Amino acid sequence: MPEGTARYPDPVSLIATSGLTKRYPGAITALDGLTLDVEPGIIGLVGSNGAGKSTLLKILLGLLEPTSGSATIFNLDVATHGIAIRELVGYMPEHDCLPPDMTATDIVSHLALISGLPKAAARERTAEVLRHVGLYEERYRAIGGYSTGMKQRVKLAQALVHDPRLLLLDEPTNGLDPAGRDEMLELIRRTGTEFGIAVIVASHLLGEIERVCDHLVAIEGGKLLRSAPLVSFTERTGTLAVEVEEGRDALVERLTARGLRVAIDGSAILVDLVDEAPFDIVRDTVVDLDLALVRMEQRRHRLEDLFRDDPSVAPVAPLAAAVPAAAAIPPPLPPADR
Amino acid sequence: MAALPAEGADGAGGDVGARVADGAADAVRRAPAGPSMPIAQLAVVDPSQPIVLDRVSRWYGNVVAVNDISFSLGAGITGLLGPNGAGKSTLLHLLAGLLRPSAGRVLIGGRPAWREPSIYREIGLVPEREAVHAFLTGRAFVELAARLQGLADPVAAAARTIATVDMAGAADRAVGTYSKGMRQRIKIAAALVHEPPILLLDEPFNGMDPRQRLHMMDLLRSMATRGRTILFSSHILEEVERLADGILVIYAGRLAAAGDFREIRRLMTDRPHTFRVRSSDDRRLASAFMAEPAVFGSELRDERLTVRVSEFSGFTRIVARVARDAGVRLFEVAPTDDSLESVFEYLVTRRAGGRR
Repeated sequence: MPEGTARYPDPVSLIATSGLTKRYPGAITALDGLTLDVEPGIIGLVGSNGAGKSTLLKILLGLLEPTSGSATIFNLDVATHGIAIRELVGYMPEHDCLPPDMTATDIVSHLALISGLPKAAARERTAEVLRHVGLYEERYRAIGGYSTGMKQRVKLAQALVHDPRLLLLDEPTNGLDPAGRDEMLELIRRTGTEFGIAVIVASHLLGEIERVCDHLVAIEGGKLLRSAPLVSFTERTGTLAVEVEEGRDALVERLTARGLRVAIDGSAILVDLVDEAPFDIVRDTVVDLDLALVRMEQRRHRLEDLFRDDPSVAPVAPLAAAVPAAAAIPPPLPPADR
Repeated sequence: MAALPAEGADGAGGDVGARVADGAADAVRRAPAGPSMPIAQLAVVDPSQPIVLDRVSRWYGNVVAVNDISFSLGAGITGLLGPNGAGKSTLLHLLAGLLRPSAGRVLIGGRPAWREPSIYREIGLVPEREAVHAFLTGRAFVELAARLQGLADPVAAAARTIATVDMAGAADRAVGTYSKGMRQRIKIAAALVHEPPILLLDEPFNGMDPRQRLHMMDLLRSMATRGRTILFSSHILEEVERLADGILVIYAGRLAAAGDFREIRRLMTDRPHTFRVRSSDDRRLASAFMAEPAVFGSELRDERLTVRVSEFSGFTRIVARVARDAGVRLFEVAPTDDSLESVFEYLVTRRAGGRR
């Protein structure tokens, strides 16, 4: 590690860890030899509850010491360059951490002062970031009266106020409704692209990760599961999904007769793409049968496939016993079992 | 304006498959003879169904949280959507008999929900807020629910439902040590312990990780195929889109739409539909489309062909033929704005006066 080059490191590596391990008392291993290297960008961090995401974030922030191994941010070792890293990193925690009786302006400028900004600069930056996150007149009211969406914005603003080069966001859309989520995701995207700030988003919502991130890091059981550009997780598969308005069965029959391998999934017909010929066969058969073609597209891999491989999540089997068939209209249950 | 007048129970068959209320009603007037999907049950108030709301309102002082809402639900999964503060939780509490309707009737299995303890045998409620004592073990909590239901063998019933939600491994730990996802699952176990035919869930996926979400979706789906009536609220539209057979959209206390969201989208005839098309020769295909009356614009930008059409089925009926006649290979045809995401946005921005 380039110890001496601390002043303004060349940002080729955003975060890098090597054999990073964290054990908690009671033989709980949260991180188990995690090794990864990520370049700046908007990075999604996913993993099951207990996979080690929070532990990783805390180690990166210098709030926890690893049991063994090392971690760097912008090539600065988290164990030895805590202060320098704090200047470069903004953190938006998941939990509700804002004092209800302070105003947004007061708390954000207070945190700016703590970050070492001079008073005038703190005031200016506060006004700037609150405008950036979309808080206007409300900023002079006590946070206790804010909606969830407004609180999330304040949390984002305080993470940005000291002009960091990396933002760590922990479940940034928690509790937001669809419009609030859209706005927050758009804000994250803009912060990452227009201002060139690297962002790490920890989230359980894979759809969200897919919308804003360009790189994905998945960890599982304290180890790296996969780290790759997002597009590589959602490549097209060799299955063509076809939906028609009516006449699905006739289409299936005709396609099968023409030698295609066909399966049915809900309202869609799945066609095996051995080569490009099926595209024309489907098109022509739809015309011949005079059907309405609602949708025809290649299926894509999904991010959640990452979490599907485990056979223990297979449906039905363990459930069958506990869920008896119930009639649509419940007869009053027997006064049973007293 | 009466939002959704009850239409009588016997309107089966060719009834409206989906409905959009109020401002969107103009689009709905010409009720198409929808396919007789199970979703159709949503739109018409059928008093014989397990869940019935008949012109229900609930106000708190001058605040009207739920405003003249009617619908009925049968077996299957229904997603309850709406912005924060729209009245979703109030609605679920009315259904669970925890709130008295200020006007109208709420019927569970044909009986009024309010002040009727017998309905608790028929519903399982999973509230959004934590309602679990941290010092109890998961097992003790579920057994408590089983005893409250008066089950003969609460221990066995609890063990069974704990296994259903995949919590057997952690059942003997105190609830206080659970993660959010685990707490959520133990609450669901408690709500299911008496095997109720109706399940009401307020944001059930909150805090769950991707694997737990997949598991919960499979669990709800398998319960629905066994004839349960499941109503869940959620803000995660992708999940609702994948899980629910139908949706109810609440906006400012009123029912804004009910039914299959794709049908709801088709009923919004005042919005042009757009399709994404990929082919072996997009330029040629684009000009061939321009000769079609159903198409009123196509745009080729960044190697992507986007076609704007005035009528959904007008386009889907011709797209394959136009491509074939032009000798163009079609790789992809997909509507780009019929996701639940865009349908929801249309419904809600329409109401907010296009503000947002």
